Amino acid sequence: MLKDITLGQFFPGDTPVHRLDPRSKILLLIVFIVALFMASGWAGYGLMVLVTALCMAISRISPRNIFKGLKPMLLIIVFTAALNLFYTQGTPLFPGWPITREGLERSVAMVLRIVLLIAGTFLLTYTTSPMALTDGMERLLNPLKKIGLPVHEITMMMSMALRFIPTLIEETDKIMSAQKARGADFENGNLLQRAKALLPILVPLFVSSFRRADELAVAMESRCYHGGSGRTRMKQLHFQALDLWALALGALLLAAMILLRHFGL
Amino acid sequence: MEPIIRFENVHFSYPEGEREILCGVNLEIAEGSFVAVLGHNGSGKSTLFKHMNAILLPSSGKVWVRDMDTADEDRLLDIRRTVGMVFQNPDNQIVANVVEDDVAFAPENLGVPSEEIRDRVDAALKQVGMYEFRMHAPHLLSGGQKQRVAIAGVLAMQPKVLALDEPTAMLDPQGRKEVIDTVTRLCREKGMTVVLITHHMEECVGADRLVVMSNGSIVADGTPLEVFSQVELMEREGLDVPETTRVLHELGLPKTAMDPESCAAIIASAKS
Repeated sequence: MLKDITLGQFFPGDTPVHRLDPRSKILLLIVFIVALFMASGWAGYGLMVLVTALCMAISRISPRNIFKGLKPMLLIIVFTAALNLFYTQGTPLFPGWPITREGLERSVAMVLRIVLLIAGTFLLTYTTSPMALTDGMERLLNPLKKIGLPVHEITMMMSMALRFIPTLIEETDKIMSAQKARGADFENGNLLQRAKALLPILVPLFVSSFRRADELAVAMESRCYHGGSGRTRMKQLHFQALDLWALALGALLLAAMILLRHFGL
Repeated sequence: MEPIIRFENVHFSYPEGEREILCGVNLEIAEGSFVAVLGHNGSGKSTLFKHMNAILLPSSGKVWVRDMDTADEDRLLDIRRTVGMVFQNPDNQIVANVVEDDVAFAPENLGVPSEEIRDRVDAALKQVGMYEFRMHAPHLLSGGQKQRVAIAGVLAMQPKVLALDEPTAMLDPQGRKEVIDTVTRLCREKGMTVVLITHHMEECVGADRLVVMSNGSIVADGTPLEVFSQVELMEREGLDVPETTRVLHELGLPKTAMDPESCAAIIASAKS
């Protein structure tokens, strides 16, 4: 169960997608999401599917990994599809059927939207190291420092959280084994009983997380951490020609989607 | 030579605590030496450790790092870059998802230019023999490897003193050996001052100087040979002595050596 968590997973590689500056990738993801919500007709959705497939091919991320990431969302996808399928007013597909033509179109469109949204996001996290990702975010959000947003602190917290996910998963596994050895039962019983059985896992996990946080803070201070001011970076971010091209293509995609929407395609 | 760390009659107790944890510690650590601090749990050795880079400040008395008073907040960063600290749990001191990013953390905090950080990171990783692992995720490394990464993370600050608080407590024998060998090499080859806090007697044998702590005071101080020779004192403190010393002690022979060969020679000459 715990091994399925793909959050923050990163597949190192040396493709053009991997080499892109994290800032461009974050911007491109935003462009991608906006473009996705612009799509209204078959041509629009077709173009988005094509673009996603192309990016996946260039980054050599196997579709299997994307689908693995989709698994936890399966329930939501099925639910959305069913709701749209049965509850959209319109002309029945066949006389007497509860399913309408509009319902079918809408449910396919919604499913595509969710799947593409997740696929795009995973494409970003799979091809960008968490450090680069948070670094890129810090740089992008930098202007917001002026209005008092603690940008460095927020991104530092994010990278710490990502760093400790595997450690905490390991610890949860350990605590679960320890509780099982004492006769705890996590698999049987109704939902309430199973939720109750999780309590003896959560309490030690919380306690140890606080202890960890305390030790981590002391260790960070001992390594001269004193906030974001005066900090330098080993890996500096550089925009290259590649980024320019990618961003131009992103803008082109957005323009194309706006045009397609305009013509109702 | 001028000591690099100097404790002057240091007393310490937590504000809410009744008990005094350090009761007047005087200690001078010479530059380039390998000092081991031995004591069982609750002897105050970890508290002593935390005084070395101003994580804790003495309730009374002074701690000096070179000519810097640890109570002087303006010199805090200088103190901390002079005395690098390695803690017990390797997981809780690694901050990044990639080994080399973690090692770069301290120089980044110090505002070192990027090209120099790169050089420092590579040099530090080579010194602890973890250069091939620079692109690995820390949580996939063994305990000993993680602790060596933590040491590299401190070395990248280019400190004068490497202080370690029970760095081997959570490691298997293999990892323990890796860490102690690395630390010993850094002292002998690079002239790094090493302060090793431990409760494992075996880890102290190779040190230049051994300090034994008990109930917040120093009860023995000298070369490992001198300290381990005081077998009654060590037993009273609940600490082990090397087997060779014990054998010589039981036989009532002079305790002038610790390595098995010399001890065998002493026993042989005593018999004849």
